[in-house]
Amino acid sequence: MPNIDRRDFIKLVGAGGVGVGAGVVLRESIKHPKEHLIPHVLAPEDYSSGVATWYNSVCSMCSAGCGISVRTREGRAKKIEGNPSHAVNQGGLCAVGQAGLQVLYNPDRLTGPLLQSANRGSDGFTQITWEDGLTRVASRLDVLRAAGRGNRIALLTRGVGGHLAELLESFAEGVGTDQLHHYDYDHPHALYAANERFFGKQHLPYYDLSNTRHLLSFGADYLAGWLSPVHHSLGFANSRHGGDNRGYFVQIEPRMSPSGAAADEWVPAKPGTEGILALGLAHHIVASGHYEGEDINEWKDVLSAYTLEKVAEETDVSESVLRRLAESFANASPSLAIGGDGAGNNSNGVDTLVAINALNYLAGNVGEVGGVIFNPDPAGATSHSRQANYQTLAQLAESARAGEIDVLILNDVNPVFTMPLASEFKAALAQIPFIVSLSSFIDETSALADVILPSHTYLESWGDAFPEQGVGFSIGAVSQPVIAPLYNTKATGDIVLDLARRIGKPMRWDSTEDCIKDGWNKIYQESDSNTRTESFESFWTALLKAGVWGKKNHLKTDTSRPNANTIASIGVDAPTFSGDAELYPFVLQPYRSGMHDGRAANLPWIQELPDAMTSVVYGSWVEINPKTAKDLGLTEGDLVDIESVEGAVRAPILVYPAIRPDVIAMPIGQGHTNYGRYASNRGANPLEILSPLVDDNSGNVASNATRVKIVATGKHVEIVKTGGKSRDLGRDIVQTTGGDDHTAQTNSIPITVIPT
Amino acid sequence: MSFLDRITEGWRKNRKPGYYEDFDYHWAMTIDLDQCSGCGACVTACQAENNLPIVGEDAFTKGREIKWLRIEHYWEGEYPDVKLNVIPMMCQHCDSAPCETVCPVSATYHNQDGLNTQIYNRCIGTRSCAVYCPYEVRYFNYNDHTWESPLDQQLNPDVSVREKGVMEKCTFCIQRIRQAKDNAKDDGRRRVRDGEVQPACVQTCPSKAMVFGDRNDPQSQVSQSLNDPRSYKVLDELNTNSSVVYLKKVEAEG
Repeated sequence: MPNIDRRDFIKLVGAGGVGVGAGVVLRESIKHPKEHLIPHVLAPEDYSSGVATWYNSVCSMCSAGCGISVRTREGRAKKIEGNPSHAVNQGGLCAVGQAGLQVLYNPDRLTGPLLQSANRGSDGFTQITWEDGLTRVASRLDVLRAAGRGNRIALLTRGVGGHLAELLESFAEGVGTDQLHHYDYDHPHALYAANERFFGKQHLPYYDLSNTRHLLSFGADYLAGWLSPVHHSLGFANSRHGGDNRGYFVQIEPRMSPSGAAADEWVPAKPGTEGILALGLAHHIVASGHYEGEDINEWKDVLSAYTLEKVAEETDVSESVLRRLAESFANASPSLAIGGDGAGNNSNGVDTLVAINALNYLAGNVGEVGGVIFNPDPAGATSHSRQANYQTLAQLAESARAGEIDVLILNDVNPVFTMPLASEFKAALAQIPFIVSLSSFIDETSALADVILPSHTYLESWGDAFPEQGVGFSIGAVSQPVIAPLYNTKATGDIVLDLARRIGKPMRWDSTEDCIKDGWNKIYQESDSNTRTESFESFWTALLKAGVWGKKNHLKTDTSRPNANTIASIGVDAPTFSGDAELYPFVLQPYRSGMHDGRAANLPWIQELPDAMTSVVYGSWVEINPKTAKDLGLTEGDLVDIESVEGAVRAPILVYPAIRPDVIAMPIGQGHTNYGRYASNRGANPLEILSPLVDDNSGNVASNATRVKIVATGKHVEIVKTGGKSRDLGRDIVQTTGGDDHTAQTNSIPITVIPT
Repeated sequence: MSFLDRITEGWRKNRKPGYYEDFDYHWAMTIDLDQCSGCGACVTACQAENNLPIVGEDAFTKGREIKWLRIEHYWEGEYPDVKLNVIPMMCQHCDSAPCETVCPVSATYHNQDGLNTQIYNRCIGTRSCAVYCPYEVRYFNYNDHTWESPLDQQLNPDVSVREKGVMEKCTFCIQRIRQAKDNAKDDGRRRVRDGEVQPACVQTCPSKAMVFGDRNDPQSQVSQSLNDPRSYKVLDELNTNSSVVYLKKVEAEG
């Protein structure tokens, strides 16, 4: 031990002390900040740590109106599931519905009101207060309203149903405008028009897939996008329960969709000839004595031109196949024919869908279980009466160009993305002096706004829905907030109510919740006083708890017949296409894949969900027939320009085994230029190059009627997709069985829809 | 034999990993390929329930995506007589699992419910199990994954988030099984009722093509579905004894 004198000892102690002190300081400075777990003295309602709370609500990702149950933990939404009690989806939910959480928690959501302080369309948005934002908008509206020029105000909203639609109506009335438009790209205008012409009904009927034994689907991708895909999936599965009565599904479309893949038979008819094919089948049914109605002679007259021989030539489907389809359709009982986007979005779309209705009528499927069943009038508003078709939006653009619109209010709608470039919709918006958007996100349309007053997402706000396709009886559901608002946003209804107050036209409700409750109070008052609950409050509580309301008011079998004029009007012209067939040899079919109309492209789960047919993620592609690819010397990943008369988009080739050689197809949804970090600058948007060819009967653009050519660029990219081999190579992974050994056990699904 | 010896022996007999002779429950799943349309709802539901990462486009190009459940596509024939067969593919929870025998640290083993489970904090990332798995349903974390705020607020608190260097795969939503067992115990029941547990994929399936339940219970829906003459196991010739059973797609004549 070394000698340490008193001085050294003191020095060492001093140095040690400093060292320890420095150590403590250093340790404190690098330590993670303290986190405290503080229990609530008074916990919020329905909040207990570690225990999940479920709220029933309504999915708003598309217009099908599925019921959802949202699982929340510690005040945060964790998982969305289908509400098992809801008759539309019965517990099921599609991928986009599952991904609704990423609308709520999207990192690109707007967190508060914004003012465009630089050039319109630039990134120069600055944060403002709600007071400032609302004042700016209200002052504009007030000046116009007070001067009696309210009609220079236009409202454009995404399709909103239920009592919120009434609130918007009331607001439009208050400011004195009739320019209130709902817009969904996929709204089935042609189907409504055809049903009105043939059945005289404004509402969509219920297509009873569940009980049908033979389905002819004309371009309706009923399992993946058409009207109410989750409900159709239930019906499809129920019809396929094994046993002798297994439903037989036929899909008639030029490009195989997921519904085509699930079908028992895929018939690649020429694009746009679906209606001619339907009338060919109708001709055979009438001519071969399967139809024996009093009006048979009128039918014979109108169908005389559609002999199987002629139809076979026009549709490129052999006579023997047509005869077999007609026979099995007429013999199966019940059978059902449906026509979807593939058939309806042609130049002859409405005529085609009328022909399909006629086919149902002749086969005796109208008003029958397993056929076309008419819904009672919905208990609340649907968006259809205000839905804008292509012509309406084109007119709006025309008024904007003429300087007749001073203020445009947008609500969560993105027409700049879904309207063809040829409509020059974006340029027209630039002519409007003041645009305000209520969107939760910046997208291609709301980027053009002067003021953005961001609204809540559907999981944070009140609303309700009355599904348009329905289930054969009255059904509705309330959408309730499942989580406190994440950001400084307001509910759409509350913004509108506030604006109405500010311009001196207050509505009779204080809040959106008030409006929804008021609407349901009416439904309560109208219900049977013997069976209903004691008070409205108890009804309301029960409604929120169950998440769904229904009334078993099935319509009696409808025996109405089409009159002679209707029958005489039946006929389908050959489809017309834009572009010269020599110069533009392919028909372009833009189809909806997993991203709806593009609104789901900013959800990373959906970007990473492999496409249902091709397994592609994160991008666009062009589907072409293997033979076409070989003829053109193209292979997968070759970058090509798809050129129409109107313009060009660039995407890689994907050789697709199930598409007609004269057709190419592209998915809709990608190609955003300004829609957050996950969607922007990715892929191509085929809607841009569509010709504005309109079916006059529906007023909507015939989106399957644009001819294009393929121009190779010589460049090559790798298409990002999952999965390995696209062929089984004898491993027998997916096994099939034919014949009779498929009877017995089933997972039969109880579908509750049986009309009385 | 002393009392202590008897307890020790009993414990050894029942707790030896990978060699359970009798399962408490024997979870199994059937998937009816005649009803499945390959829509992919199950894929997203699984991602939401089990905190699967958002891997980004680059990871996909390198084959490093993580999808516990995926839809496989097999084309058959040439235009116009062409067909697409789809099949949902996830961990088959084999009772004779090739992956279990190969793990050097027993990070993957068979539990008392007949589940093939993965212990994340025991895994050292040799990836041998993924090589041995004939169904290719094991996914390796080549990176640490992050969720851009506030997407992280969606994460399921009942499921751990895996880190770099760890293998992961379908668990049959074991957290839901645990929850159901807890609920049964709280209610004073000995067993979980049939239908009380639904993995996220089964729950969301729009066409109700999937059935999940206890194979030990002959009355359960899954037991009845297993008896369907259409039932088969994928790559059955490998004798993996899988717990996921498919029902053949029917090819009907028009």
